[in-house]
Amino acid sequence: MPITVKLDDVLYERRMTLTELSEKIDITLANLSILKTGKARAIRFSTLEAICKVLDCQPGDILEFTR
Amino acid sequence: MPESDGYALSLTKKILRFLMVLNPLFAFLILALLVASLIWESWVMTALGVKSEVDSTKLIFAMRTIMVLGIAAAPLVQVVLKRLMAIVESVDSGNPFVLMNAERLKTIAWSLVSLEVIHFMIIVVAKGASSQELPIDIDLKFSFTRWLAVLLCFVLARVFEQGARMRDDLEGTI
Repeated sequence: MPITVKLDDVLYERRMTLTELSEKIDITLANLSILKTGKARAIRFSTLEAICKVLDCQPGDILEFTR
Repeated sequence: MPESDGYALSLTKKILRFLMVLNPLFAFLILALLVASLIWESWVMTALGVKSEVDSTKLIFAMRTIMVLGIAAAPLVQVVLKRLMAIVESVDSGNPFVLMNAERLKTIAWSLVSLEVIHFMIIVVAKGASSQELPIDIDLKFSFTRWLAVLLCFVLARVFEQGARMRDDLEGTI
């Protein structure tokens, strides 16, 4: 898929684990893992908003479009 | 699931299981009749109401053809019943919107088409052999409802396909 998820990079920059993020945004670790590994089909605006709020970043920092 | 729905599903399964036993039994009985008509022709034909004083060669051939068509219909009916049972079981397990059910409905629809073709062939054979002296007493009416059922199955198959895709999308949404 041309859209890649860079959640791992942002988490590394913030020195935060996926488990910590899942606890803060109240989304299961399993679902976040699906998102992180690029296996998700779609992402809700509410999920994106919660991630951006906790990681203090923009949606573009999480998602990237590659040709 | 409401209790009444659960009861309806359980009743449907019981009826389907009963029909799945009854259908091959009927096919076997028709086969037995066909074999008997070949071995004890005059006795079987008299029992079926064929008058011995009239030349009945054409009628006997037609009756045997109808018996063969009846036997040929049994596996198709069995396919319909089995697929229907699988669909009902998937509803029972709480996961009916899967692509497999769409395929099952398509199979049911094509089996129903084949059964209608067999029905049409029986009409042709019976009309061709039936006469005033030796009429064949079979319900030979064209049924609009059965063709509507075929159409309904094809439409439902498409609905299930769409439903399965939508469900997949929803499951993959984070």
